[in-house]
Amino acid sequence: MHKVASVEVEKNIMKANEAIAERNKKLLEDNNIYCVDFVGAIGSGKTSLIEDIIENVDENIGVVAGDVISKFDAERIKSHDVPVVGLNTGKECHLDAHLVEHSLEDMPLDKIDCLFIENVGNLICPVDFALGSHMRVVVVSVTEGDDTVEKHPLIFQSADLIIINKIDLAEAVGADTNKMVADAKGLNPNVKIITSSLKEGKGLDDIIEAIKEQKPENL
Amino acid sequence: MHELSMAQGIFTTVMDTAESNDATEVTKVIIEVGRLAMINPEQISFLLDVLKENTIAEDADFVINEIPVEIECQECDYKGIVSLDGLDHYAPIIKCPKCETPRILILNGKDIIVKNIVIEKPDEDE
Repeated sequence: MHKVASVEVEKNIMKANEAIAERNKKLLEDNNIYCVDFVGAIGSGKTSLIEDIIENVDENIGVVAGDVISKFDAERIKSHDVPVVGLNTGKECHLDAHLVEHSLEDMPLDKIDCLFIENVGNLICPVDFALGSHMRVVVVSVTEGDDTVEKHPLIFQSADLIIINKIDLAEAVGADTNKMVADAKGLNPNVKIITSSLKEGKGLDDIIEAIKEQKPENL
Repeated sequence: MHELSMAQGIFTTVMDTAESNDATEVTKVIIEVGRLAMINPEQISFLLDVLKENTIAEDADFVINEIPVEIECQECDYKGIVSLDGLDHYAPIIKCPKCETPRILILNGKDIIVKNIVIEKPDEDE
């Protein structure tokens, strides 16, 4: 004979990620490391922005570069002579806290002050996956279309800093930068929105300042 | 593919629970998926069907209940359900249904929860 039993599980699959993210954050804080994650579509300018920041600040930066299968971003960043861990997600469309936890095993935490995590290019899936960072930067470029911000509200609502990049190309692609700024402000009125043309060096100083501003005092 | 890792998370939870309760078979699993969890329940169902092959959950019925989005408006006093009908499931534009501001706090609808499982286990007298 067998008996039938109903077992309450009540396990939240998303909370498992959050628990690991908290663990990552604690590990980083124990090592006095300020962590910023960068989210944005493919080609929005995340890697370029990280490269530009590395070249313009004194802090020792380490980078976790997420990508689906390639190491191109990791190799690009490595050429700036900073520690880089390339993180391939395989077929996954976002980084999660567990992947980041493993990448931290290969990062020389005693040699860096600041960790940048570059997510896989995607404006949808990374929304709900906390990684353990202190700040999230969302990068969008005008070439993605000026309706991109309003079409992806959740990622912009999750941002601590919004960067609207490639404004030098707005006219060429018929995009209204002001509309994108207004949409971003409407979705997330409390965060700073910076328009930039990283290719021309415009906006970089403001971005660096905004990232430094949000660094927790104890780090 | 986002759904695969979610399905694996769900399935691991089910099998761990079954094992710790000495189950010989899993017959039913109740799962709650929030409408803002950014996953497609049909894809989850398909993947669970693949994952359960040749396990004690092979014949289990995986029931997925979609949970509506609940918000608290930061500008007016609205607190409650927001209908997503007619919107694209994967990029829903969430606004307060009363004052239409996007300045809202999402209270519910982002989670994926394994609620409970029904198992068969040997009678203790045997």
